[in-house]
Amino acid sequence: MKTLERPPGVLSEPEWRVEGRDKVTGAARYAADVRVPNMLHAAFVSSPHAHARIVKVDASAARGMLGVRAVITGADVRPARYGRRLQDWPVLCWDHALFIGDRVAAVAADTPEIADAAARAIAVEYEELPAVLDPEAALAEGAPVLHLDPSPYLYLGGKRPTVPNANVQGYGLHEHGDVDAAFASAHRTFEHRFTLARTHQGYIEPHATLLWLDGDVVRVVSTNKAPYGLRQQMAACLGLPEEKIVVDAGHIGGDFGGKGHSIDEFVLYYLARATGRPVRAVMRYADELQMSATRHGGTITLRTGVDREGKFVAHSARVVFDGGAYAAGKPVATLMPGEAMVTLAGYHLPNVRVEAMTVYTNQIPAGHSRAPGQPQNVFAAESHVDLIARELGLDPLELRERNAIRGGEIDVEGDVWHDSAAHEVLATLRREARWDAARGRGHGRGIALGARPSGRGKSAIALRLDREGRVEVLTAVADQGGGQHTLFQRIVAAELGIPLDRITVRRGTTENTPRDAGIGGSRVTPVQGGAALEAARKLKAKLDEVAPGAPFAEAARRAAPLEIVAEHTSDANVNAVYAYALEVEVDRDTGHLRVLDAVLVADVGTVINPVAARGQLEGGFIFGLGQALMEELRVEDGRVTTTNLGDYKLPTIADAPPLRIVLLTDSPGPGPFGAKSVGELSNPGVGAAVANAVHDACGARVFSLPVTAEKVFSALRTERRAGPQEGWHTDAVRE
Amino acid sequence: MSTHDLRFTLNGERREVTVPADRLLIDVLRDDCGATGTKLGCAVGVCGACSVLVDGELQSACLLPAVFVEGRSITTVEGLAKHGELNALQEAFIRDGGFQCGICTPGQLIAATALIAAHPEPSDGDIREWMMGNLCRCTGYYGIERAIKSAANV
Ligand code: FES
Ligand code: FES
Repeated sequence: MKTLERPPGVLSEPEWRVEGRDKVTGAARYAADVRVPNMLHAAFVSSPHAHARIVKVDASAARGMLGVRAVITGADVRPARYGRRLQDWPVLCWDHALFIGDRVAAVAADTPEIADAAARAIAVEYEELPAVLDPEAALAEGAPVLHLDPSPYLYLGGKRPTVPNANVQGYGLHEHGDVDAAFASAHRTFEHRFTLARTHQGYIEPHATLLWLDGDVVRVVSTNKAPYGLRQQMAACLGLPEEKIVVDAGHIGGDFGGKGHSIDEFVLYYLARATGRPVRAVMRYADELQMSATRHGGTITLRTGVDREGKFVAHSARVVFDGGAYAAGKPVATLMPGEAMVTLAGYHLPNVRVEAMTVYTNQIPAGHSRAPGQPQNVFAAESHVDLIARELGLDPLELRERNAIRGGEIDVEGDVWHDSAAHEVLATLRREARWDAARGRGHGRGIALGARPSGRGKSAIALRLDREGRVEVLTAVADQGGGQHTLFQRIVAAELGIPLDRITVRRGTTENTPRDAGIGGSRVTPVQGGAALEAARKLKAKLDEVAPGAPFAEAARRAAPLEIVAEHTSDANVNAVYAYALEVEVDRDTGHLRVLDAVLVADVGTVINPVAARGQLEGGFIFGLGQALMEELRVEDGRVTTTNLGDYKLPTIADAPPLRIVLLTDSPGPGPFGAKSVGELSNPGVGAAVANAVHDACGARVFSLPVTAEKVFSALRTERRAGPQEGWHTDAVRE
Repeated sequence: MSTHDLRFTLNGERREVTVPADRLLIDVLRDDCGATGTKLGCAVGVCGACSVLVDGELQSACLLPAVFVEGRSITTVEGLAKHGELNALQEAFIRDGGFQCGICTPGQLIAATALIAAHPEPSDGDIREWMMGNLCRCTGYYGIERAIKSAANV
């Protein structure tokens, strides 16, 4: 076990966001705030059918309208397809449209109003085809194949893994131990099935893009959080060299996974080329909800065998995610959400078989959303564990204590943990949530345990030192709200032992910064933060060389101007563990539920930005609570019916219950000074904690998210009839 | 579409613009006046990102036809700091984690300004009632509540 380095004193100084002033005065620049002279506005025509062949596009009327500068259709972009890893999404469809919202034509015009009018004047003739709206239907024998010839699709960074069925986007099968033998000898076996709604990231800022051609250079102002990633995707899709594309991301108005995926950037290139003018597109929120890459809905079936002590001796799972019409929104090599295979996180599991897949359907494409795959899997896992505890007549916390992973034990993915805070987290939760105290009438308490690995990847950062001893941090990392620029400032100041106000942070474009992996996958603190620390160390070594033993100011005077570029790779497999206890009140007559109180215990390692770390955990809790209680992207016959933020409900300040956060900081992470990642730690566990608390309060079990009053009400009625509930299956006791 | 000569005051400065009669205030602010501090989110009056004060009254600029502000006085986030000095609310938002991505912040600050004007010492209930129309996806609202309380000294 690695011992914790003592965090330097500067980390105990108050945190003051480096971009704070700009954000509270309206000066902070977001992509939609940028305007350039002569700029045109884009509008799009999209398919009203879930699956259709495009017979004819007649744009003649639109082309003749005053103020319309270009109209393009699929024929003009063919065969360009885009995507984060697999480029399977046509820039504009030319033969088939695969979901309601798939684009078939685009317009650039002098004003947004003219562009909209022109788009409405484009007549498209379709031949409707049978739609495949459900993953199981897509997997069935004889189902229509949605992508008839994927062989020309580009797969960035390697070779696309093979899939067992033409309608499968990504597939994984993991096995360790002898799972069949372990099930055969298990004392009891439990199986439950859970369904998960499709949800939206719900950032308040819609995607925005401004693109123009500057000689042979393509300049892009974008809401994309991974500028180098977007550059690579555009280069591949458009057939341009990477150096001829410059991506400039400013402040990003919320991400939660959704801002890694860009849509408009690709088609705007063709519009800019056709018009010779800058073109701008700002997504309407209605389009955000109908065509951006949402969180995957799906079904998860879990089966776990226990021995006489309630120890998990065998576990198998089948995870089927509805990937929608395209896999383009998924950046991970497997073309599945990153944690698709982690079906029972935080437990010792010697015998496991997990099968997971993402499936093509004629639905809105699914991509990445905060802790991809986890909110679904943790909901299933922690509901499952709770149900097992009830069946065994054990306290749910006790069952978790019996099974939570320890250092040296093996997890669901077959990885051995060197070190585990799981038991400390559970013990702390028992105490802090007063778990053993009696519940009030109609009240129930639910817990959930979870774990998330710290992010991995590679990044580089530059430092510039001037004669006054000021240090500028130059980075490609955009700020999507996580506080990364302040993080770099604090890390560099701490390592150099100089005051915070000596450090400034400047974000650059892909033209003038070292290459960076972008924000995502809880990567910033260990990876980019690690690069900042590495750069500061290199700078210190350089100063020592030039002026051995001199104080910083003097050494800086002698060594400056100096530029250091440092690269850092973090690939340590270190998990952070967390647990929730929630208390709810359920009205048995209506199913109405209210969350009264929440306690979160989180193992976070060293805290570098105390305000931001707390903010991430608090914000993640409400993010998770929204998806636990109210959020669902409703779809009927392939059509999203929650098309504005009035229908797709996000939590408001009135929905935020009292929350107490207890941080455990002793177990070191892979980040600077022993930090771990926190940005995706607190949202996945909330759904299960709510469902478990509801069960505790009234005996009703809800097997799907969100846990709404209607579902609680109908589960209560089922429970009163005392029949077996949907999704519930328990094997006979084996003697 | 008829056009309209519009006169109003924006953060203490007189403005005159000629706009189509159906132009929304959000577009007049952001496009015609170049005041991009006020943000557009949902565009349907739900999220509060576009909150502004019109003669001190809280309004959603994404819903309000600009002609309604003829002769009136508008305050946006750009008008909160005086002579480059952040006000107590702005400072508190930075200190107490009142924002992360910052996209909702202009609206939150404007709504909180209206709240404190109406309730100089707001109760928890006042804060919830007044701030319910301003969505924040980042903070979970806890930091916003802390900031408002500390700025109002409650
Ligand atoms: S943009 Fe006006 S309320 Fe959302
Ligand atoms: S700070 Fe990002 S939405 Fe509020």
